[in-house]
Amino acid sequence: MPGPRASAGGEADAGTDRGAGWFSLVPAYRLATLRVCLAVATLAFHVPKFNGFIDRYVGSAFHVPPALPLIPPLTQGGGAVLMILNYVAASGLLLGLGPRLCAWFLAATGFYVIALDPEHYAHNAQFHLTLLALIGCSSDRVSLWRLIRAKRDSGDTCPAWPEHLVRIQLSIVFFYAALDKVFNPHWSVSGTLLATLGARDHAFGLAWLQSVNLAVIRAFPGAISVLTTALELFLAVAFLVRPLWRTGVVVAFAFVVYLEFLLRPGVFAWDTLAALFVFVSTADQGWRIVYDPQSRACRWSGTILARLDWLRRLRWVPADDAVRVGHAGDEECMRLHLVSPHGRAYHGFNAFRMLPIILPGPFFVVMVLARFGGGFLGSRGYGPWYDLPFLVLAGWLLLWVPGVARFVARLVYAAAARAMVRTG
Amino acid sequence: MTGRDVRGWRRHAATAFIVAWLSVQIVVPLVQKFEIPTFRYRWARFGWAMYSRLVPRYEVRLFRVRGGGEAEPIPNIERYVRGYRSPEPMPMLALYVSEDEVHDRFSRLVSYLAREQRDGYTYVARIRWTDYPPAGAPTVVEFRAGPAG
Repeated sequence: MPGPRASAGGEADAGTDRGAGWFSLVPAYRLATLRVCLAVATLAFHVPKFNGFIDRYVGSAFHVPPALPLIPPLTQGGGAVLMILNYVAASGLLLGLGPRLCAWFLAATGFYVIALDPEHYAHNAQFHLTLLALIGCSSDRVSLWRLIRAKRDSGDTCPAWPEHLVRIQLSIVFFYAALDKVFNPHWSVSGTLLATLGARDHAFGLAWLQSVNLAVIRAFPGAISVLTTALELFLAVAFLVRPLWRTGVVVAFAFVVYLEFLLRPGVFAWDTLAALFVFVSTADQGWRIVYDPQSRACRWSGTILARLDWLRRLRWVPADDAVRVGHAGDEECMRLHLVSPHGRAYHGFNAFRMLPIILPGPFFVVMVLARFGGGFLGSRGYGPWYDLPFLVLAGWLLLWVPGVARFVARLVYAAAARAMVRTG
Repeated sequence: MTGRDVRGWRRHAATAFIVAWLSVQIVVPLVQKFEIPTFRYRWARFGWAMYSRLVPRYEVRLFRVRGGGEAEPIPNIERYVRGYRSPEPMPMLALYVSEDEVHDRFSRLVSYLAREQRDGYTYVARIRWTDYPPAGAPTVVEFRAGPAG
């Protein structure tokens, strides 16, 4: 069981870095978590894809001229070295060993490979490389080991400007995506492009949802086109305006998850999700976990949760103290017991389903591994493994069904009671 | 505590980087998206134009002929471009490339093949646009390169 952590220290306004200037210090865990998540996506998707381009390029005798005449062509030996170095750099980025050099190396080689042949270009690749370059600006100095260490403080800090750049970058991407839809004759109010969209085949369940989604899109392409444009413009604004961050994160999450699962899967969705980490609270230790220092099970689950708490949002409160302040009864110390920063208590099952929200970094990594591992197995004919991340997400969302049902029932009951009182 | 406040030359360097970065990120998509000086909208790479294009599909057939003879497969086509086949048609997507770039690629390829082989054959790339062909472009385009180049 991790002991009480040291506070963030005097220089950084940990967790409450609201209004942090470009050069002030902020907790380093957001950027470190973003780095780890990007590194996992890089290892699982980006490096295999770009190494495939390199392999194909050096295995071919014919090439189109590179984008700029100064760009040197890639030789057989150079290609082999580059492929190995890509894996080394992605591993370094994940572990936090020379992460700035590794990130810039991956970004630079990625743009070099894109410049070799226009067919290597993809918007999602450009976005991924842009994020890698930005994470290369981060001086978080929090290695993977330090991030997942059970006994640690939460005082690591770094300058805020790379976080600001990631936020502005997200805004720029969504702004131009929206602007494109305004001027593009296939979008605009016509929605021609939407009406022609196909979706990836999925297994039963998800396939049904997809067909409903496509039917709605094809029935109202113009309206959906305008809605998409408005949504992207809203996100572009929300990422720049601090009071809208919370709403922006929720809308962006729903939007890219929709794109990933109901339209076309792609890396863009995962990179956007990773970039959203720069909007979440960190190092505030605002969530309290009640634990019994004498209980072995408590100590064990505490150690695991501490390792997953990359954003340093958890604080451990001994059960006696919690009982004294009224957050837990004696019997509840056996179950997972969470108290939100606003003082709302979650017990057992309710607390369990909150964990992916409080610990988004590890949840993201699980989803990315499910997505690209599933894609790997699916592409080799081992079955509909493409749906693995959807099943994980659906499983988590299903955990909320009882709570939502209770909430709806309460609303219906209240409305019915009011109506009965009114009608006498 | 590992963080360090940004002061002195580091601060100036970071400021210069931020300004340069934002300038590039704002200007490049703008000029890619709106042709200068007419400011007419166009689809282009590096413009954050995701899901923005009816992706043209085409079939390309690579083969060689001698005189007025039958189409023959190009030997060792895999050596020239990995993954290509000859003489059967290959379905392709112009996902992020323009029609001109597709034409330029295959025009260069047949010229390269003719130059490399020097066997008296004429090398042919026949492109047939199948779905969402570029506006104003003929459905079938053929590029030939013979012994004379």
